[in-house]
Amino acid sequence: MSEPAIISTQNLNLWYHEKHALQSVSIKVPKNRVTALIGPSGCGKSTLLRCFNRLNDLIDHVKITGEITLDDENIHAPSTDVVTLRKKVGMVFQKPNPFPKSIWENVAYGPQVHGIRNKAELDRIVEESLRHAALWDEVKDRLHDSALGLSGGQQQRLCIARTLAVNPEVILMDEPCSALDPIATAKIENLIELLKKEYTVIIVTHNMQQAARVSDYTGFMYLGKLIECGKTAQIFEHPKEELTENYITGRFG
Amino acid sequence: MKSGNNAEQDSVDSFCTARASLLKEQVIKTVFFCTAFLAVIVVIFILLFLLRDGYPIFGEVGVIPFLFGMTWAPTAMEPLFGIFPLIVGTLLVTLGAMVFAVPLSIGCAIYISELASPRVKQALKPAIELLAGIPSVVYGFFGLIVLTNFIRVTFDVSSGETWLAASLLLGVMALPTIISVSEDAISSVPHEYKEGSLAIGATRWQTISRVLVPAALSGIAAAVILGIGRVVGETMAVLMVAGNAGIIPEPLWNILSPVRTLTATLGIEMGEVSIGSEHYSALFGIAVVLLVITLVINLSAVAILRHLKQGRTSASARKPLIPQTMIESLIPFAKAAGLVLVLLFLLIAAPWWLTALALLAGGIWYYAKDRVSEKHIQTIAFCLVGLAALIVLAILVIILQDIVINGLPAISWEFLTQPPKDLGRAGGIFPAIVGTLYLVLGAIAIALPLGVGAAIYLVEYTREGRITKVIRSGVDLLNGTPSIVFGLFGFAFIVLYLNVGVSLLAGQITLALMVLPTVIRTTEESLKNIPQSLREGSLALGATRWQTISRVVIPPAVPGIVTGAILSIGRAAGETAPIMFTAVVFSSRFLPDSIFEPVMALPYHLFILATNVPGSSTNKYGTALVLLLLVIGFYAVAIVIRTHFRNKTRG
Repeated sequence: MSEPAIISTQNLNLWYHEKHALQSVSIKVPKNRVTALIGPSGCGKSTLLRCFNRLNDLIDHVKITGEITLDDENIHAPSTDVVTLRKKVGMVFQKPNPFPKSIWENVAYGPQVHGIRNKAELDRIVEESLRHAALWDEVKDRLHDSALGLSGGQQQRLCIARTLAVNPEVILMDEPCSALDPIATAKIENLIELLKKEYTVIIVTHNMQQAARVSDYTGFMYLGKLIECGKTAQIFEHPKEELTENYITGRFG
Repeated sequence: MKSGNNAEQDSVDSFCTARASLLKEQVIKTVFFCTAFLAVIVVIFILLFLLRDGYPIFGEVGVIPFLFGMTWAPTAMEPLFGIFPLIVGTLLVTLGAMVFAVPLSIGCAIYISELASPRVKQALKPAIELLAGIPSVVYGFFGLIVLTNFIRVTFDVSSGETWLAASLLLGVMALPTIISVSEDAISSVPHEYKEGSLAIGATRWQTISRVLVPAALSGIAAAVILGIGRVVGETMAVLMVAGNAGIIPEPLWNILSPVRTLTATLGIEMGEVSIGSEHYSALFGIAVVLLVITLVINLSAVAILRHLKQGRTSASARKPLIPQTMIESLIPFAKAAGLVLVLLFLLIAAPWWLTALALLAGGIWYYAKDRVSEKHIQTIAFCLVGLAALIVLAILVIILQDIVINGLPAISWEFLTQPPKDLGRAGGIFPAIVGTLYLVLGAIAIALPLGVGAAIYLVEYTREGRITKVIRSGVDLLNGTPSIVFGLFGFAFIVLYLNVGVSLLAGQITLALMVLPTVIRTTEESLKNIPQSLREGSLALGATRWQTISRVVIPPAVPGIVTGAILSIGRAAGETAPIMFTAVVFSSRFLPDSIFEPVMALPYHLFILATNVPGSSTNKYGTALVLLLLVIGFYAVAIVIRTHFRNKTRG
């Protein structure tokens, strides 16, 4: 990959208890592109994703070796502040997880915890983020209703808006459409297309068509190893590895 | 031809057995229904008998003068029956206890659920269960000897038996309830909320204070309400340290004034009143008032918790009982009201150094609010939360070490095997130990079959409907009834009405009624944990319902049921109020010959030694230690069984 990388890993290994979940993974994620991680379940793609914002810190008995850099800074360096890191690297989860608060409060939560108190400023951020997430028109009249009253697809877009409100550089998406119906999925996919103008998106998916549709680059993982990574068209049309070809053509999975 | 005859015979036979087994099933079901309905009947009986004996006072004095009369002087030449000072006393003690216990408990709950490492958690949780296991009379004893003395010296007052002492002690007693219920509420906030907040870049403290705690708010509210219920219904501890003067503190915020609560009044006067007099009736009137207060408190907590549980299981019913927005819109008002109260207190009542200190702290806060980074706020908050956990632990250690160190010298073979001499100053406590064992074993022998039967009916024989709702409410009501009310009911119904007399049997029945809800609940829990597939597997093989229950469902549930039974025994062994008027005598050289004779019991013995027998210091501590060890021993056995089988089922 010749494009400038925003995140890269070098020989990344991760053990969960005794299980060697990531095995010397080296990947470069290009800036302002959509990179998809595909592979059968349990191959470590979500684990890799959660390394990028150090959300694996929450789990006990995890051991990590190797290097992960964001903007050429090692994110496991002792001087790294996780809070700042997570501000730069936002995340959207598999299951929509809005807080049990109002729509407005959900979006404003991020800016608020980062010290913005001015109501007008918060209002502006909320509107901008919701517009960005293509949700504004649907919710503008009920910003102060509970977020839990939204549909699944709306909740997921709210979670994206919540992430955008912090103005991150990278957005991690962990199978963001797996709990959604096809229409909601299409909306999220369109949104991803728009987002890559300003953000770098890394998306984990087990849906190969989705990877082919939305991503510029694709990495294929299998049993904790990154088998192959390259331009999406190349991976899908002329994979170098036999394993990749077998997976993509549906011979296992 | 012959074979055909046989087949006919067979089908007739099987028809008969089928009918017989159907009948048997019906009978079994009816029996279980009766045991389950017993809880409701007991509640009705309690209400009936309290009202029956309390009614005359409402007639003679009138409801309003009774509730709002300013003087309680039942034994004066012209007796006055106004319980307003007692109600105020109860409220003040409760308020004080909550001011002390709520911040401490929530801090401790946050520490356990979010900050503690698994190992620390494993040490803290049993410590809190231990705090819950200490009998109230032992708390009262500790309060009387150590706490009141500490207050007397620190504040330089003539007696330490004050509102402050009662509030502190009852606050400690409410800690385990509030901690465990709110810890549960915080821990069961969905993990996704936490991840979502952290992924945005919120600090851990921001996540806790702005997402987790607000999401757990109704659970925490229920925890506090349950804590209040515990404090309002407590008798022995409060009567031993509150000073018991039936006055409203002057001025109202004078925490060094003695107070008298509703429960303490019953505990003190019930033993000396002449049956059938106006005074007797007034005491039952108090019990009615007390019962109504605690029932309202407990039922509201139960309603909140039940609603939460439903919300957790079905995503659609996420709407909380008290709308979140309502709670949140109340917060600014609560904050303002709190601020005004504090200011008033500082202006009028507080000593000057406290005012200065508070102003200083407020000034620093105002100055630093916007200048300190989130990181530092987090560090400070974590320190405070950790401190809360440390204080709770320290309280436990102080109480235990005081009783163990002073109690050990008293323990000897003679002490454990001899009857008391010289009003308990010398000699042993053998009859009290035996009496307590008789009481609790009898109680559990009565409560276990009834409770298990009720639980089986509720879990196995019915769907949720109107009947189960009634029965469950009955169980909840019974669970929320203060132990002193059981004592009065036992006295009025079993001792007097059934003419059993003050006896072992009366005490056993009273205790059995008291622990019945615990037995029902723990049994229900363990039955519900048996996977539905097991029942279906058995029924699919053609087993009847009762066969399925008795051979497939109950055997794996036995450890849970036994645990519940032992916990109940522990609880019953430490209770004083229910047996005080129904079963015990202070001094008896002999063991009872039959269940119709009164017995000695450890908690009551300790109570009398501590309050009425000066100069029995070693034996007091010895009795307290033996009682404590007995109760904790039961709890320990229950906990060991529970963890043993929990590990086993996890494989």
